[in-house]
Amino acid sequence: MKKLYTNRLNLRLALVLFLICFFPLSTLSNSNFNTGQSSVTLLTESNQIGSEETLLVGLEFKLSPGWHTYWENPGDSGEGASIKWNLPSGFKASTILWPGPERIPVEPLMTYGYEDKALLLTEIKSPKEFSNPVKISAKINWLTCKDICIPQEGQVDMTLIKGPKVANQFTSKLKEIASTVPKNFPSPYRVSVINEKIFLQFEKEGSRNISEAYFFPSEYGLINYAADQKLEKNDNSFSLELSSAEVQLKTNTLKGVLKLKVDGIKEFYALDLPLEKNTNNPLISISLLTGIIFAFLGGIILNAMPCVFPILSIKILSFIEQSQGSKEKLFHHGLVFSAGVLTTFLAVSALLIFLRASGEAIGWGYQLQSPWVVSLLIYLFVVIGIVFMGNIVLGSSFGNFGTLVQNQKDLASSFFTGVLAVIVASPCTAPFMGPALGLALLQPGLQSIVIFLALGIGFSLPYLILSIYPQLLSKLPKPGEWMQTLKQIMAFPMWASALWLAWVLSSQVDMQSVFAVLLGALLIALGLWLLEKTQNSASILRRLTLIFSLGLMIFSIWLLPITSDNNSPNLKNEENAFSAQKLSSLRSEQRMVFLNFTADWCITCKVNEAIALDQDKVKKVLDEKNIIYLKADWTRKDPEIASMLASYGRTGVPLYLLFPSQGDPIILPELLTEDLLLDFLKEIN
Amino acid sequence: MKYLLSLLVLLFINITTASVTTDLSAPSFELLDSYGENVSLSDFKGNTVVLEWTNHDCPFVAKHYKTGNMQSTQQLANEQGVVWLTIISSAPGTQGFVLPAKANQLTSSRSAKPNHVLFDPEGGVGKMYGAKTTPHMYVIDDQGVLRYQGAIDDAGGIGFMNKNLLEANNYVKNALTEIQGGQAVSTRVSKPYGCSVKYKS
Repeated sequence: MKKLYTNRLNLRLALVLFLICFFPLSTLSNSNFNTGQSSVTLLTESNQIGSEETLLVGLEFKLSPGWHTYWENPGDSGEGASIKWNLPSGFKASTILWPGPERIPVEPLMTYGYEDKALLLTEIKSPKEFSNPVKISAKINWLTCKDICIPQEGQVDMTLIKGPKVANQFTSKLKEIASTVPKNFPSPYRVSVINEKIFLQFEKEGSRNISEAYFFPSEYGLINYAADQKLEKNDNSFSLELSSAEVQLKTNTLKGVLKLKVDGIKEFYALDLPLEKNTNNPLISISLLTGIIFAFLGGIILNAMPCVFPILSIKILSFIEQSQGSKEKLFHHGLVFSAGVLTTFLAVSALLIFLRASGEAIGWGYQLQSPWVVSLLIYLFVVIGIVFMGNIVLGSSFGNFGTLVQNQKDLASSFFTGVLAVIVASPCTAPFMGPALGLALLQPGLQSIVIFLALGIGFSLPYLILSIYPQLLSKLPKPGEWMQTLKQIMAFPMWASALWLAWVLSSQVDMQSVFAVLLGALLIALGLWLLEKTQNSASILRRLTLIFSLGLMIFSIWLLPITSDNNSPNLKNEENAFSAQKLSSLRSEQRMVFLNFTADWCITCKVNEAIALDQDKVKKVLDEKNIIYLKADWTRKDPEIASMLASYGRTGVPLYLLFPSQGDPIILPELLTEDLLLDFLKEIN
Repeated sequence: MKYLLSLLVLLFINITTASVTTDLSAPSFELLDSYGENVSLSDFKGNTVVLEWTNHDCPFVAKHYKTGNMQSTQQLANEQGVVWLTIISSAPGTQGFVLPAKANQLTSSRSAKPNHVLFDPEGGVGKMYGAKTTPHMYVIDDQGVLRYQGAIDDAGGIGFMNKNLLEANNYVKNALTEIQGGQAVSTRVSKPYGCSVKYKS
């Protein structure tokens, strides 16, 4: 075997030596130069050049089949060509205008270059005055490689006549190659670094169908050349996942060329984006640990958000009741409640992971985009309100079954209160939660579950503390008649929530469907009333009412609107409604833009709008500074908005972006106040 | 499923082109040298060690030897009692693959001063170290910690063939001098340049 190998080697060596001997590295004085593996020809767009003109010239490399030469950044090995111009005084040559490269893999490495042929362009500028004729020459050093590399050297020259430019047989060829030299990328793009992964995200332009994308980095030490780049297509944007270099070198920019295959045609774009700015922005790029801490803090704060308030009231009541029991029992309730919260968060995260895997555009509060879920929540809030108001305690008919059973039943109710708390909390986003959830949804399953758990622990922490230190509850009055009154009062925030959800529903479906749901709520109320009325009646009557009530409830569920109605008022027609196209055209006009991501089911958003956005002073500043206000309404499913949110590492609303006339937007805090917003608006320019 | 797949892909990438991290322990290896002896990195604990990936037919390597740049770096290493291991990861049948006799002849004809010339025809050690080019240099201190990886100097890039290597900033010499002086290595990583290592495909 060894012999065979060495024979092959010797053959190859002989060939190389033969070629080198036969074509010595001598200098030929010609516009064409041939080394055997490759030839170089100097082409100009005109044989004449006028004063103060720019002449496009090209060095055309023709390589033997299967051989290649390199791009500016050769990748893992090799080296790009160097051209040294010798021009009459006053003439200036630009640096090489490199056309878009191709990948040339050399397992296990990756190199970047041009196979079989290459045309490297240069622009030559003439001075005001010069003598005729004009002799230009270029000394070129380049590598011609296959599995081995051969350094080549040559000189080409040409004599130009002074005079106006006249097109020749090479003009169109040079112009054509010039059009493949990477241009600045037209669409907005951004770079996020998330846990060793670099995401290059860019917006889609119109209906262009991008089937392939590859990013050629210009610099070493940031991106792994050999690793596959994964292109994720969203409805309105693309995300190219790049792997970090195995050996990292500190770089401040992501610089390179993006190759796209658009409708089957290759396009090359130059990208240059400061990295530091993004990596330093905690809202975009946060580590897993930060994500966990943010989720935990967000969970605690979530308790104080408006949508959780009704549930807070249920929980306080139950704690006052339970504080009468033993300390141990109270502690158990705290634990079980937390278990309920955590289980639900786990279920939510599992569902999100599942949906993400099936390619859905998802986010926190996502379920509220479904009229079904909103309608069920309406029923739920109505039922809770009725339970609070009346004497019905669901399941209380089992009465005094003994302390043990009683205890178990209470524990179960604590568990389900936890579940309920999470369900009603879903329309709310608290500060810190946005980036944490954004990270959770970008992470592989396990890490995303960890973040959700941290959120759940934060959310249930206040109750756990209360149950461990019941003395904190001792400040509250002793249980008594007042509790019944308070419970009844708490029915009203429940019904208020139902009312608000009905309003949310009205923006998703038509009025008839909203009416159907409200009718359903009425029937449920009737059913509950019947159940209560017959509580102490004979068993047959009781069973009949039970069946009748169940029938009413099933009927009310049947009334639920199944899908969003597309004929209802289209929010997109509003003058200030967001669209990626509108934003990018405003951005190209260098207008300042305030972009509000909101949804009717997002109470945090509505509160922000009421106390900050809709204030006269804010409107005045927006007018005075000529800042365009755009509203991205996510009440219903909208892939364009979802992908825009995703490009800022978010999965839910609210998100407030303030775009200066140039550059990246500022991400505003999730809880806005009038003063805070005014400060931001006044500073932007 | 998508994530499981990407995890698998990641694992796969890590297997095919592993790498070493500066300031972490350099992985040990054992290879045959040009005299047929087993040489292990751990034999040199207590000594600073330089690893040089080479391929004598690669024009980049040829230039470093022709100009005496590689030899003068080896000379400095010798003076400091540093062990120099030249490693050939070219697979049989590829450029740079040599038999022991040829390796020894290259050493003497080029006045090279490696302590050992090692053969890595399977490419295992090269891939473990993430050696991509010839030359590709690694400096390991007397505690077995990798202190430098990358090019021999800053002459790489467009126009290399016309550069005067004696004017270049020699990263390996700098690292050796700094280690000798008990200082931290100032340039710990640089972009390696040269021909691709001719790994077994």
